[in-house]
Amino acid sequence: MKKQLLKIPFIIFFLILLAFFYLLTIERNPYEIRSNLLNKSVPKFKAETLLKDKNFISSQEFGNEIILVNFFATWCKPCRDEHKFIKKFSKKDKIRVIGINYKDDAKKTDLWLKKLGNPYSDIPIDKNGRIAIDWGVYGIPETFVVNSKGIIKYRHIGPITKEIYEKINFIVKSLE
Amino acid sequence: MMINKTFIIIVFTLFMQFFLNNAYTVEPDEALQNQKQELRARNISKNIRCMVCQNQSIDDSNAPLAKDLRILIRNKIQDGNNDEEIYKFLTDRYGDFILLKPPLKLSTLVLWFSPFIFLLIGIFIVLFHSKKSRKA
Repeated sequence: MKKQLLKIPFIIFFLILLAFFYLLTIERNPYEIRSNLLNKSVPKFKAETLLKDKNFISSQEFGNEIILVNFFATWCKPCRDEHKFIKKFSKKDKIRVIGINYKDDAKKTDLWLKKLGNPYSDIPIDKNGRIAIDWGVYGIPETFVVNSKGIIKYRHIGPITKEIYEKINFIVKSLE
Repeated sequence: MMINKTFIIIVFTLFMQFFLNNAYTVEPDEALQNQKQELRARNISKNIRCMVCQNQSIDDSNAPLAKDLRILIRNKIQDGNNDEEIYKFLTDRYGDFILLKPPLKLSTLVLWFSPFIFLLIGIFIVLFHSKKSRKA
């Protein structure tokens, strides 16, 4: 009986080891933090827009169609890298792409978009980063997929890569 | 003479440490005039993780987002929000991850109590062994 009890620590140690290796092998990114806004309504905000003479009022814009919300800035190099994928999204019929211009200079953004192409239907300006805080953004670029009911279904931190582009397409299809 | 100089430099460096430890990132223009409110803001900031650097509190970090959040917390204090409301505001947006001390919840039970369970197992093993060796 006592000898059997002695085995317990070894069994526990083995189980911990097993859990450790299991976590090592599964595809898991510990830096990826789940958004607390998933499956919640988009935060309400009102902002001036770039290139258009109108105010962007979130409650009037969300809730009719699938919207991709992309936080970007001209000073952010990864934003430039992902721009080609954002353009690809904007060519799709069922997605509207909104770009929230984070702590940026209007003139620079204007030039940047002229040079690289403008994929955004609207560009609300987040001058002081307050809108980004409401979206739980902490490192741009960040991209959100919002369904036609105005509910956030997906968030990606960092630039959109080919894999993420395909993943978002898949998510959008499942939302249609 | 040379040794003396080195000695003075070492002592001076060690002495300066005390001042460096007290240095903080809150910039003068951020601090509130009301001492009580400022103290509250600092206490909250110490418990809030800088999402950019992740192992620092926003009170220690000089990341732009940390500064934005420090100012936001101070604005909320001035607007009359209590600490609980401010914590809720932040966790609603960034999740529990923004708290440096994870809250006691059903999902964090293992995190909080597994050390005690392992401690008990350890005590059990030590007692078991000491009994055995006494018998021998």
